[in-house]
This record gives sequence, C-alpha cells and structure tokens, in this order.
Amino acid sequence: MTQETEAPLPDINPLRKQVQAKIKRLELHSSTGLWILALFTVLSMGAFHNFDFLPPLSEGIRSALGDGPPVKYINWALVMYGFSAIILILTQMASDKKPRGALGHLGYLGAFYLFYHFSEGLSENFWAIFVVGLTILGLQSYHVWNYYHEKIQEQREILVELDKLMD
Amino acid sequence: MFDNLIARAIIPVTIAVTGFVIFGCLLLYSFIKADMTADAVRYADSLVETVVKSTHYSMMEDDRDALRNIVANVDSLDSVERVRIYDQTGHPKFSDLEGITEPGSVAAKVDTWAKTFMQSGYPGRENIQQRVDHENGYIAVTVPILNEPKCFTAACHVHSEGEQTLGFLSIGITSTQLEKTLAVLRYRMIIFSIMVLFLTIGGVTALLRMNLFLPILRLTYNAEQAAQGVAEYDLPKSDHKLGKLNKDFRLLVKQRDQALEDLKAMGNLDRNVDDGSR
Repeated sequence: MTQETEAPLPDINPLRKQVQAKIKRLELHSSTGLWILALFTVLSMGAFHNFDFLPPLSEGIRSALGDGPPVKYINWALVMYGFSAIILILTQMASDKKPRGALGHLGYLGAFYLFYHFSEGLSENFWAIFVVGLTILGLQSYHVWNYYHEKIQEQREILVELDKLMD
Repeated sequence: MFDNLIARAIIPVTIAVTGFVIFGCLLLYSFIKADMTADAVRYADSLVETVVKSTHYSMMEDDRDALRNIVANVDSLDSVERVRIYDQTGHPKFSDLEGITEPGSVAAKVDTWAKTFMQSGYPGRENIQQRVDHENGYIAVTVPILNEPKCFTAACHVHSEGEQTLGFLSIGITSTQLEKTLAVLRYRMIIFSIMVLFLTIGGVTALLRMNLFLPILRLTYNAEQAAQGVAEYDLPKSDHKLGKLNKDFRLLVKQRDQALEDLKAMGNLDRNVDDGSR
C-alpha cells in the first residue's frame, strides 16, 4: 500500500509582496487628484495677483501674439467647457471608468486664466474660473479617490485571503 | 456600507450642482454688469454729444456767458459730478465749480484722469476717451474739440490751421445708481442660488431616499430577519420599488422554508419507520 503525500503549497510570500506593492501604488494614484487640486490653487493664487510675479512679455512677443480674443467669447467658451467637463466626469463616474484627464483640465483652466489675462478681463472673471475649476477638479479628485479606493479594497481582500492560506 | 452608498450618491451631485450654480451666477452677473455698464457709458456719451452740440454755436460766436450757462445747467443734472471745458494745453477754461474741488472727490479724480490725455504728444489725444471706475463710483468721458475751417477763419480769435485740437470737454457722472442696482442684483442672485441649491440637493436626496435607500433598508432588515430564521410569511411586507430583486429574495426564503418543512417531514417519516420496525 502506497502512502499518498500532500504536495507542499508554493511559497506565497512573493505574491503577498506583489499585492502589498500594488496597494502602495494604488494609494499613490488615489492622491493624484488632490495634488492637481493643490496645483490649481497655486495657479489661481498667481492669477489672482494678475501674474505680476512673472516678467512682462516683450513688445515683440506681444505683437506676434496679437490682441486677445474678446472677453465675451472667452466667457462663452468657459461656459461650454465647464458644462462639458462636468458632464464628462459624471459620465466617467457613472460607468466606473478609469479616471483620466485631470492634467488636461488643469491645462485648460490655466489657458483660460491666460486668455483672460491677455484680454484684460481676468479681474472681472477670476472667481468664475476659480469656482468652475474647483468644481471640475473636485469632482475629478473625488472620482479618482473613489475609483482607487475600491481597487485598494479589492487588493486588501486578496491579501487577507493570502494570509489565511499562510496560516 | 449604507452610509457609503448615500455619500457616493449625494457627494458628486452636490459638488456638480453647487459648483455649476455658483459659476453660472458669477458669469451671469459678469454679463449683466458688462451690459449695464455699457448702457451707462452710452448715456454718458450721449450727454457729451449733447453738450458738444449745444456749445458749438456759442464757441463760434465766442459767447462766453452762454458757455458758462450751458456748463452750469448741465452740472445741475443729478448724476453729473464734473463738467469742464479745457483749452488745448489742458487748462480749465469753463468749469462747473471753479476753485472749490475737494481733493479725493469724484470731480478731482475725473480731472486727474482727463489731464493725462491732454498732454501734447499723447498718442490718443484726438480720440474720445472713456473710463468706468466701479471702485470710486464714476464714469468719465473726455472728447477733443477738433479744429475746423470755421474756427481758424473766424474773426473773434485766431487759431492757426495746423492746430488739430483746440480744447477738450470732460464730463464725469456718478455711477452710484449703477452700483446700487448691481449690489441688489448680487444679493438677489445669492438668495436665488441658495434656494436652487437647497431645492436641487434636497430634491435629489429625497428622491434617492424614497426610491432607493429606504427600499434597500427594508430589504436589508428582511434579510437579517430571514437569516435569524423568520419564515417568509412572517417577514414584513415590502414595497415593489426594488422589483425582481425583492421578489427573488422572498422566493429564496420561501424555498428555504419549504426545504425545512420537507426535511422535517422526512425526519418524522424515518422516526415512524424506525418505530414500526421495532
């Protein structure tokens, strides 16, 4: 009569370490929204002071750039952008898609600050851009946090299962 | 878990609605302010045009008394804070209140601003200049009085043909009424925004609570009861808002009850068989 020996379980420590590293990576990703929000706040502080800490543009560059667009056109562009961006982020949230485009939004908002600055309408419209920026990036960072938080939960559950296997 | 569900449903809606309503109000206020300011500037422009046309004949006739009267009459308008006719070097020739301008008053600010365009060699000297100062509450317009053949050919006083600008007319009107209207508009917009926010967020929360959260709470309670062994017919009646999910849950509990009854019946049968065989 042959005695059946149970095959030893493979070492799961490397797998545990992989999961732990993934959790750390996801935790880093989950805070990117807040970093971008902080960057936007710094940019807004500069815009609030009408970018007076930057050296003025030379006449040559100013004339090469030409006159800024009329403020009312920038206002309409801002309304369209704000509305589309909020709808886009809400759609991403509803379909549980990986959050993307936070840096792009920061770029667009920075461009709006610059356009208003060159068209001499920044002081009148600063709060409008600031509020729409906070809304868009706030929603985006909430989506980022929520999305990666769920992924972290999944990985933690895997880690618990692995710990049970080790015991 | 339930708290998270509420938070996850309400927070994005709150951020999106609050942000967009405030943004919309700020931008709308900016549009209305620009339109109302443009209207006020148009009023100032038309006033200046009226004064220029009414003083034209007196200037041609060198009628200084008539000019003084016109300036005094225009100054008697409620909104007018400063009317001045300057010569080509920027010295006042006819003024509403000669010599009694309080420093820091709207009139003094209009004078300081107007004189910057009267210096010889200023690039926009021959153009109409406008200034809207919301902080200090005034709108000012300065127009150049340009030379024309009748001026340099008149017998009264001689201007050479080469002089482009003979003087300037400067008018400053108070924008207090405009600022008051804008302030009222601001308060109304703030109240309106708060009402819209409360209604939207409150409405969404109430609808979610009524149609989603409460049915889920009832189902959770029923699941707890069922897990403790309560039979399907003893479970509280639930509404039909969760549809198939609720029906299937009750079916599962019913099947469990049936299986338990069957098991019990089988147990009794086995006992009877055992008793009979003894």
